[in-house]
Amino acid sequence: MKKIAIKQLIEKIEGEAELDFTFNDGEIEDVKINFGFYRGIEEILRGKDARDALVITPRVCGICNHAHLIASVRAIEDGYRQAGIKVELSNKAKDIREFTLACELIQNHIKWLYMTILPQLESHIGQRSEENYAIKASYLSATITKSLAIFAGQWPHSSYAVVGGVSCDPTHLDVIQAQSLVEESIRFFEQVVIGMSLEEYLAIKSITQLSEIRGDFGKLLYLLGSNDMATIGKSHDRFIVFGDSPISASAKSIGTQLSKVDVRYVKESMQENTIAKAVEYKKRLYEVGSLSRGMVAKRPIVKSLHKRYKDSLMTRIFARVDEVGVLLNICKNLLKNLNLNEPSCTLPLNKMALHFEGVGIVEASRGSLIHKTKVEEGKIVNYEIITPTQWNLSHGTKEEQGVAIKAMVGSKSVEEATFVFRTFDVCSVCTTQ
Amino acid sequence: MSKPKLLWLQSISCNGNTHSFLNHPELFSILAHFELIHHPLLESDYSLQDVINGGLPCDILILEGSFIEEGFLKAGVEVSATIERYAKKATHIITAGTCATFGGIFKQKEPDKISGFAFDIEEKTVRYEAYASKLISLSGCPIHPRWLSFVLLMIANGKKVEIDRLHRPVELYGYTTHMGCTRNEYFEWKIDAKNFGLKEGCLFYEQGCQAPYTRGSCNKILWNDTSSKTRVGTPCFGCTESTFPQTSLFTTKTNMGIPAKMPLGVPRRAYLTLTGVTKSFKIKRFSERLLEYDK
Repeated sequence: MKKIAIKQLIEKIEGEAELDFTFNDGEIEDVKINFGFYRGIEEILRGKDARDALVITPRVCGICNHAHLIASVRAIEDGYRQAGIKVELSNKAKDIREFTLACELIQNHIKWLYMTILPQLESHIGQRSEENYAIKASYLSATITKSLAIFAGQWPHSSYAVVGGVSCDPTHLDVIQAQSLVEESIRFFEQVVIGMSLEEYLAIKSITQLSEIRGDFGKLLYLLGSNDMATIGKSHDRFIVFGDSPISASAKSIGTQLSKVDVRYVKESMQENTIAKAVEYKKRLYEVGSLSRGMVAKRPIVKSLHKRYKDSLMTRIFARVDEVGVLLNICKNLLKNLNLNEPSCTLPLNKMALHFEGVGIVEASRGSLIHKTKVEEGKIVNYEIITPTQWNLSHGTKEEQGVAIKAMVGSKSVEEATFVFRTFDVCSVCTTQ
Repeated sequence: MSKPKLLWLQSISCNGNTHSFLNHPELFSILAHFELIHHPLLESDYSLQDVINGGLPCDILILEGSFIEEGFLKAGVEVSATIERYAKKATHIITAGTCATFGGIFKQKEPDKISGFAFDIEEKTVRYEAYASKLISLSGCPIHPRWLSFVLLMIANGKKVEIDRLHRPVELYGYTTHMGCTRNEYFEWKIDAKNFGLKEGCLFYEQGCQAPYTRGSCNKILWNDTSSKTRVGTPCFGCTESTFPQTSLFTTKTNMGIPAKMPLGVPRRAYLTLTGVTKSFKIKRFSERLLEYDK
């Protein structure tokens, strides 16, 4: 038995991480994940006005800032309700929030596909193409975030979700422009990513139909399949979704067994030798993200892949790219059904609670994001943020290894393990908020 | 002629400036003017480990994130040391975003230790003198992609960028974010927005909008080529300013019912005189829904 330790700096992942691999007899036995600088957003928030969180928390993360905004506004609204103030959003406000959030997820997924997965996979298997994948990522993310900005003013770092609704007051002029940008995004997805119509794509139910997918996604699936990637990267086969969204309701799925969840059972704890806090649900570790949402929503093609390949790298990657199609369809429908006659914000300007505690949950691109705020005399006395990367990237407990670590264990090379690591789409900045 | 060599380094950051720039519709045409030595996300000639190992060429250094002298290591090396090593080599240093320029949001974690690269809020840091001749400040949380491309292309074209006392390009920061706001008429006639979620009314009087005294061209060069905070009814939070973020961001601070802070360069007396005049009229068009008038 020969033990070897290898340290590797992982970059281009929303910041950096350092991985310490321990090899035993040529196989990875354990991995320690270390993140960079603790920025202290939760501390920065203390003493500020409750609503300032809507401006501060998006600055946790340059890529999922919008999810932080929505989580923070939901936390305040939850707190107001607990304090007895009626906060009832119009359907218009709810739908606009879901729309802008979906746009951000698409932006994030597509960057991950083109700037992480395709180039890293090609490098890993030694078949680097000369293609400029990043230009595709940039085109689609610029198009879909422009659609988001019609309602939210800008991306990144909008604060347009206000307590009781949204700050915008869109007209048909806005909606038509946004629809046009969504259509452009769908067109790109059809012609470049999947090589078929969105409608046909969404009707795919079984892995026997996967060969119908063309475009860059088809190429990716071929490369994964022909390089034995369908079996590696398996983890605990446990999935959890805390936020209700148009993609899925909240629930957990152990294997394929669905059951309810309650955010009160989420426990955060400090870990040794890293500034990233670990998180667990009733003493067990769960994966969060697109794969979990696909499993909980019982999306047929995700279930079909899972039946064959379990929670392998193949299933995980598939579920995330697949969700782009699901989200584009959601975006289209949300805009089509938007009722502009409803009010944007239903809470009067100066109506506010001064003492409250609230929880806000949102499905961000990497998984469930939870904000908890505690406010006294109008000021934040405590703020907690639990990010998706904390679920997927924790070191684990005494009983079991962390989700990503378990997926890397057994790997024979640092290169392969690093690729597995990247399939979780690590967000270093969120983890070190 | 060889292209200028571009190096993008991050310190204490959220990556928001990186992602904002990735949204630029002509991103790759702009980058074609440069040789990309290293970038936090885009494929580049060298890895971060290579950058940290040192010795790479660098003509234009873009800095993102707040600066700390000690205590932030990447691959075992102080980030500040890596930054200074390339800052010495560079012919131009661009501080991209409010964090790198003034300290920004992350300064609030440890105000005594964390600052911008050359400015600590508006005070000059120990590094200022050494790098002042090549420094361009592009504040904003995040940076506007077209502000950065303007500066990059000016440099690529060999043109001098005119700057103000805090090294901000005057063509970008000579404006206030208020200029070009679609709510300008409501500001002129002192009509406040009655709530959030309305296209009518100015956000300066109740909702905390800082646009009249915040420098930047957000309402001239629109965000995502389409909109801005104030156009969608969100107050300006002054994110380009050295003092960002302040507190109580959704409430206007007032003295005797008058906004405590005046529009940039406007004497209080002038403002009060004008307010007295405008408030003595009731203009029908501004007292009803915008799209209902003349229907």
